[in-house]
Amino acid sequence: MPLLATLVALLAASTDGFAATPGDAMGVLMDRCGGCHGQAQIAGLDIRTREGLLRGGSRGPAIIPGNAEASLLYQAVGQEGDLAMPLESDPLPREDVALLKRWIDAGAEWPSDQVAAAADDWWSFEPVKRPDVPPDPTGWSRTPVDRFIARTLHSRELIPVADADRRTLVRRATYDLHGLPPEPADVEAFVRDESPEAFEALVDRLLESKRYGERWGRLWLDVVRYADSGGFETDIYFPDAWRYRDYVIKSFNDDKPFDRFVQEQLAADQIWPDDIELRGSYDVPEEKLRNLDARIGTGMYTIGTVYHEAALNGHQLRYEWLVDSVDVTGEAFLGLTLGCARCHDHKFDPISQREYHRLMAFFAGSEIRRVPAQHKMSELGYYSAYPRQLKVFEYQNAIKALESTVSKRLEDSIAEGFDAETVAAFRVSRAKRTAAQQAKAAVLERALTEAGLRENPGGRVPELPYTQQERDRRRTLVSKLGEAASRANFELPTATVLGSAEVRYPVRMTHRGDWKSAGEDVTAGLPAALGAHAKPRTAGDRRALAEWLTDQRHPLLARVMVNRIWQGHFGRGIVGTPNNFGRQGDRPSHPDLLDWLAAEFVGNGWSVKAMHRQIMLSSAYRMASAADARNLQRDPGNRLLWRMDRRRLDAEGLRDAVLLVAGTLNPKMGGRPVLPPLSEEERLGMWNLDAWPESLNPADHNRRSVYVYAKRQFPYPMFKTFDVPDPAVSCGRRAVTTVAPQALTLLNSDFMLRSAESLAARIADAGDAGAQVGRAWMLALSRPPTPTEREHAAEMLARAGAREFALMLFNLNEFVYID
Amino acid sequence: MMSKHRAACGSRRQFLERAGLGFGGLAASCLLAADGGSAARSNPFAAKRPPLPAKARSVIFLFMHGGPSHVDTFDPKPALQELDGQPVPESFRSRDFQFTKMDRVPLLGTPRRFGRHGRSGLPVSDLFPRVARHADDLAVIRSCYHDGFTHITGQNWMNTGWAQVGRPSLGSWIVYGLGSESENLPAYVVMLDGGIKSGSPAYGSGFLPAMYQGTVLRSEGPPILNIRRSEPADPQRQRLLMDKLEWFNRQHLARRGEDTDLEARMTAYELAFRMQASAPEVADISSETGATKALYGLDSAVTRPFGKQCLLARRMVERGVRFVQLYSGGGNSGGSPGWDGHNQIDYNHETMAAQVDRPIAGLLQDLKGRGLLEQTLVVWGGDFGRTPFTDGSEGGARNNAGRDHNPYGFSVWMAGGGIRGGKAIGATDEIGLNAVEDRVHVHDLHATILTLLGLDHVRLTYPFQGRQFRLTDVGGHNNLASRLVAG
Repeated sequence: MPLLATLVALLAASTDGFAATPGDAMGVLMDRCGGCHGQAQIAGLDIRTREGLLRGGSRGPAIIPGNAEASLLYQAVGQEGDLAMPLESDPLPREDVALLKRWIDAGAEWPSDQVAAAADDWWSFEPVKRPDVPPDPTGWSRTPVDRFIARTLHSRELIPVADADRRTLVRRATYDLHGLPPEPADVEAFVRDESPEAFEALVDRLLESKRYGERWGRLWLDVVRYADSGGFETDIYFPDAWRYRDYVIKSFNDDKPFDRFVQEQLAADQIWPDDIELRGSYDVPEEKLRNLDARIGTGMYTIGTVYHEAALNGHQLRYEWLVDSVDVTGEAFLGLTLGCARCHDHKFDPISQREYHRLMAFFAGSEIRRVPAQHKMSELGYYSAYPRQLKVFEYQNAIKALESTVSKRLEDSIAEGFDAETVAAFRVSRAKRTAAQQAKAAVLERALTEAGLRENPGGRVPELPYTQQERDRRRTLVSKLGEAASRANFELPTATVLGSAEVRYPVRMTHRGDWKSAGEDVTAGLPAALGAHAKPRTAGDRRALAEWLTDQRHPLLARVMVNRIWQGHFGRGIVGTPNNFGRQGDRPSHPDLLDWLAAEFVGNGWSVKAMHRQIMLSSAYRMASAADARNLQRDPGNRLLWRMDRRRLDAEGLRDAVLLVAGTLNPKMGGRPVLPPLSEEERLGMWNLDAWPESLNPADHNRRSVYVYAKRQFPYPMFKTFDVPDPAVSCGRRAVTTVAPQALTLLNSDFMLRSAESLAARIADAGDAGAQVGRAWMLALSRPPTPTEREHAAEMLARAGAREFALMLFNLNEFVYID
Repeated sequence: MMSKHRAACGSRRQFLERAGLGFGGLAASCLLAADGGSAARSNPFAAKRPPLPAKARSVIFLFMHGGPSHVDTFDPKPALQELDGQPVPESFRSRDFQFTKMDRVPLLGTPRRFGRHGRSGLPVSDLFPRVARHADDLAVIRSCYHDGFTHITGQNWMNTGWAQVGRPSLGSWIVYGLGSESENLPAYVVMLDGGIKSGSPAYGSGFLPAMYQGTVLRSEGPPILNIRRSEPADPQRQRLLMDKLEWFNRQHLARRGEDTDLEARMTAYELAFRMQASAPEVADISSETGATKALYGLDSAVTRPFGKQCLLARRMVERGVRFVQLYSGGGNSGGSPGWDGHNQIDYNHETMAAQVDRPIAGLLQDLKGRGLLEQTLVVWGGDFGRTPFTDGSEGGARNNAGRDHNPYGFSVWMAGGGIRGGKAIGATDEIGLNAVEDRVHVHDLHATILTLLGLDHVRLTYPFQGRQFRLTDVGGHNNLASRLVAG
């Protein structure tokens, strides 16, 4: 057997153990072959029906059911023999080839002889149809969600595992909704609560806490590629980005209807217009304030990357902003990656390059604008800020003074290397030197120039020989300066939002996305393939786009959002590619369930919290993460949800959990981003050390991770190590990697050592070693230790000390993984 | 036998899928690892046999941060000398630069002398007298180009094959494709000489899993972030911590049955523990002879910093590190210009070249002497080249004698890795502004490097945003690999 065929066969045998479903095979065929062998029937082949495949094309039948090896289709996509398909396109991935093989070998079953989806009726572009809830005779189901899952499990002869125990459940639910572990008292209360509604009560309580918005707000911030700076060399600071971040957190906490949330972000200024751009100090009606709050939602379009150093060219900046706006709209709200269509018609999804540019035109009349964010700003308040401005100058001067002291010392030490005569000549002021003195002094001057102490052609900056004490002092001063500047009120408080542009530049077609190649003008318009459900009442502006998107009949918005919520609870969405519901994305594992949830979501007034309840109260959510040999064999990837998947804490969840367990978490909400201290080592990777002015107030170092400065050019190192995505583009689902630098961070970093010390102090008064272990176990793992564990842990506590013991706890798999 | 492999791929599949590797990546990994056996099961970094015949096993990329001038170093332009001081001829005036309008500045000839070196007579300027002695090992590609005329876009292009941030870097793709030959060291190491303008995205993994990102190694002090505590630690207590951690994790695993994620995390701790010993070992050069140290210029304050980086690079490729990138001209003050000679470029380049000439020559000689040059591809380049006319940022006055960024035509050289040197490929126009002959886009450069390593740049793909992404996007057609290795 040729090597490739061997490997394909191996892979075929090794994949999940799933039989290939006809739907999967149809999907692959339509995606990759349908362009030429669908309606077009090139070479006479029509793959849209089983008949068509059996009949085949000019070379004879495409498939021989039961025998893939002998089937022309399989040979062609496997790149064997003289016919290699697809033409002029990448070969099919191995698993798709394997899938087709399994499907043919299994008899090439076709659901009914319906024509497979034609090019423009892809499942996710079809209207949501509320399916009937199937029965579950086994009695496992608690909620409608379960009945859908049970049906699929049953059809594959999979049996759901038992419910998780109470401790696991309270831990899972608290992490899911708060991004934090439960407090021991809450664990015990839940374990003791014998009421059948105990879990329901727990979920309700968790949803009411403000911690909820911080967790789910953070998830949304991934989707909208949130950052506090613009990236690239200039990496400009977005002074008001935090208002948008707080707006997101508050929106989740308030359970703002999701359609309203979308409308606000896209077009609050147009839907609820006002003339909020007010300078000065007078009363503003409440309604205007509410409208301003909503308008901060448009901050979503003000926090993308900014290629600022190209500011020589305003057109390019504007073009890139339009592109970013369309891309993030597509991924966040439509679950479609439109970006391909910037340069050419989308190869897989029905979006042409023209349609992409027509979407850009919705944003063309808009611009980013800063507006006052406070309605009553008394003049007194404003001018009383003046002393705070003086503080800024004070710290600036102190930094300069310190630098000049150290420069002087460097200068002196360089001068020491020269003879007395040279130094004497040098000390004479330049104008008074004799020619001889000038010649002597010049040598020393050159040395100083080379050290960067004089203006020099290379623009060299001196490496100043700070003592440790001076270095620390400088750092403190920079922090103080940062703090003072942020309090100084140089201006009235502002919000950065969208507004209507004074000049509306036309959007022009480009050649391959190059902004310089302007073609014909394009007007705003909706993609034809997606626009069938509704015509917006207004035309041409963001408001129209928002109305169209949030129309109840829109096929994508609700599906995409309920899928994100599902993913937040199960680690994986019903559609595995939350930002791609197009042809290149995954197909839903439970299409009916997805539609049912989408219909529920809309029916419940787009309430996100109601959706959490709907999902979490199911039996599916309450399952243990236990292994089951028989199920594992049939569905090793757990795609059909016969158990709960074990999940690793994400970067923020990990840092926040450490802070909470150590007892140092500062629960303060909102406001400007905070900057926890960096170790010397961490700072060395920065292009400009002053770009991270550590927060002056130590309490701010322990704020929740969602408030940590998100700097595009220098992400907080611990987050980077634990897979925080690059906010260049929307991220629908984070990668989870397991690498050695994570272990080094958790074992050796200053942050972890400090936190371990705090936990050690926290358990110190619990009693003897055994009691201390018990306390620590409850705090970190939400359960008491077993007797053997207690014994081992107490021994370690005695021999290695409480800090090492605490550090070990933070490093346990049980701490980092949620069952 | 078959079933064994199947099991490996099956559990790897789950592992990788949950690790975010997705399906396309999995297929490639499984195919690549077909001969990898059990190593592949637990370690996604396990060395993979390249799919194509490989010339090179490792890469050392010497990155001149700021953008070195080609017309002053490896691309002599006699016509430019003649036109020195003249306005830029009309026919050239259609390009954008960061600070310069071409109709306002005069052409600027080079003050350097070019000599012909080696048996090949390859021209190299007197900025690199020692590197010039290795002229017969160098293949200078004089027709490189991209379109990023600012530092970040230039550095992004060169490192990730794209102007915007978010794409995986060259080293990440290579490690994704080939894995690591070292069990105790990261596969992809970056030495920064301070910070760089483009920051971590320049050595980031973009949309590839984060495990493929470059690890920053420092040439002084603790070599890797958090490799040890900032305070002295008691080794016995640390050992005890590791032992107990292992014990509790085993208990935890036993209660839960097989779980590749949990096992992988335990493996990562073992690797971290080994790295705590091996990273300081690789950074400790006390076992090197005085002659070797001198070869790299460690005896001079000027050459020592970059010399140490070069020496460490050799020590790392010796120990199986796959991709090492060294930066000359980084900094932490936000102000170090590196090779960015907007003003008085001759002074700037003389200063910078003096820091790297001896170390680079030493590296080539040392690699050769140890028989490592054949399997180690050395690449020299920067953000871009520089303009043949003066910089316009201060009104374009002749007296600033600097050069602006020029991405439209510049030089990169390669040596080792099976390359037959002593040749120049491609050409810029008469004044050195645009690549005109045998044009080599960054995608072509990357395709060439991947090919020399035995990777097929068209098939090394990763699914993201609904598309199979490549390092070389839809380019890489002018793949130089076969010409570079030919005599």
